[in-house]
Amino acid sequence: MVMVTYIEPNGSEQQIDVTEGWSLMQAAMSNGVEGIEAECGGSCACATCHCYVDEAWADRIPAAAENELAMLENVVAERRPTSRLSCQIKATADLDGLIVRMPDAQS
Amino acid sequence: MFSFDPYSPAVDADPFPYYKTLRDEHPCFWSKEANMWVLSRYADIVTALNDWQTFSSAKGNLMTELPNRAGATLGTTDPPRHDRLRGLVQHAFMKRNLESLVEPIKQIAHETAAPLADMKQFDFIEDFSSKFTVRVLFAALGLPLGDEAQVREKAVTMVQSDAATRQKGPEHIAAYNWMQEYASKVIAERRQKPQDDLISHFSMAEIDGDRLDEREVLLTVTTLIMAGIESLGGFMGMFALNMADHADARRQCVANPALLVDAVEESLRFNTSAQRFRRCLTRDHTLHGQTMREGDFVCLAYGSGNRDERQFPNPDVYDISRKPKGHLGFGGAVHACLGTTIARISVKAAMEAFHQVVPDYQRVQEHLPWMPSSTFRSPLRLDLARI
Repeated sequence: MVMVTYIEPNGSEQQIDVTEGWSLMQAAMSNGVEGIEAECGGSCACATCHCYVDEAWADRIPAAAENELAMLENVVAERRPTSRLSCQIKATADLDGLIVRMPDAQS
Repeated sequence: MFSFDPYSPAVDADPFPYYKTLRDEHPCFWSKEANMWVLSRYADIVTALNDWQTFSSAKGNLMTELPNRAGATLGTTDPPRHDRLRGLVQHAFMKRNLESLVEPIKQIAHETAAPLADMKQFDFIEDFSSKFTVRVLFAALGLPLGDEAQVREKAVTMVQSDAATRQKGPEHIAAYNWMQEYASKVIAERRQKPQDDLISHFSMAEIDGDRLDEREVLLTVTTLIMAGIESLGGFMGMFALNMADHADARRQCVANPALLVDAVEESLRFNTSAQRFRRCLTRDHTLHGQTMREGDFVCLAYGSGNRDERQFPNPDVYDISRKPKGHLGFGGAVHACLGTTIARISVKAAMEAFHQVVPDYQRVQEHLPWMPSSTFRSPLRLDLARI
């Protein structure tokens, strides 16, 4: 299991044991994280599972691929250097302890 | 000895007791009738959906696949090809781009519901949902009206399978071929006279400078038509059945139509029409002590995952206050249903209009005639009577 902390826009935190291989979006949806919409269900096609990766982790997770970078142009909240689509981040042992924050809005 | 035959009429009628045994006693089960493995627990299905490198869709995703279809549609390709194809069509189905359809869909709902005002008893499918879904699809894709009854009949027939032979029968293949010819005519017309609509854009789109393969264009459009009519219609039948069977939930939704949104999500979890899809293993994979081999097909029983008590407390209770996030009613991960938003908008509009004309009702048949299908589950006829 990979422990990931999700922080909602109102500051409330939820720690989730994410199964290895699941996307961060998937675990958020299966555990009722409110700040993720995931309209397209996880095919990198809607930009509504936007999250900000904690800065301490920014260089430790695999970089976004081209299609994710292109889709990130469509997020409605502020796009920052740490912006990612949570459907494109797969839980691996290396990410144990990761912290992600949800933006104010997804759509 | 336990068996699970997705072609059996008993499974069409009530798969849930079988699913319970599968989850509790055989979480990785070889069905010799279906000639594939069956995964039934929520977590195992989600893991498989997220691991497309192992659980590939490229050999087909329907339990009983249509000939020459695998590899040419969104549902039957893997990333990265899939993601590029999906990128071409997804924008048309996103919430922000569907707003212009909301009012036309409401209008269609009111027009379709109006004739029910004079009926004491009716078939919800024949008299309402089939007429509604085909008009919504025609509006969404900009198809010319005139032959919608025939298009609907073919869409419903092509998803069925023959219980005796466990295959598609000649009538199912004929409907599939008819639909391809219909799609092909529409594509040709749009290429000749392009409009600002999905089929025009898609039929002329390129991926990385290459035009889409002709078979991809044809079968993707064919599948969109099939899904738009059959999947939406099938789900509406299940939703109306739930409303008829659960009087408290129905009365709450009639009094406060905003609750239809929650009722739709709970219905997607409780007994969605898309019950089972399949994948094909690209390598050997061991789960719950069973080793599945490369090339084996694997059924992902969404309808079972949605009733898994390991994920949803009291899963056999229909509770519209549940708000079940992460349900598998639209599948999940890269292949999650393309039409989620339009389906949600459409069902809410349809049922709101329906309830204005028919606010209180019950079902007439004790036993329903279920569609023979290894993939989908919905009644062929649903007689409702006013109370």
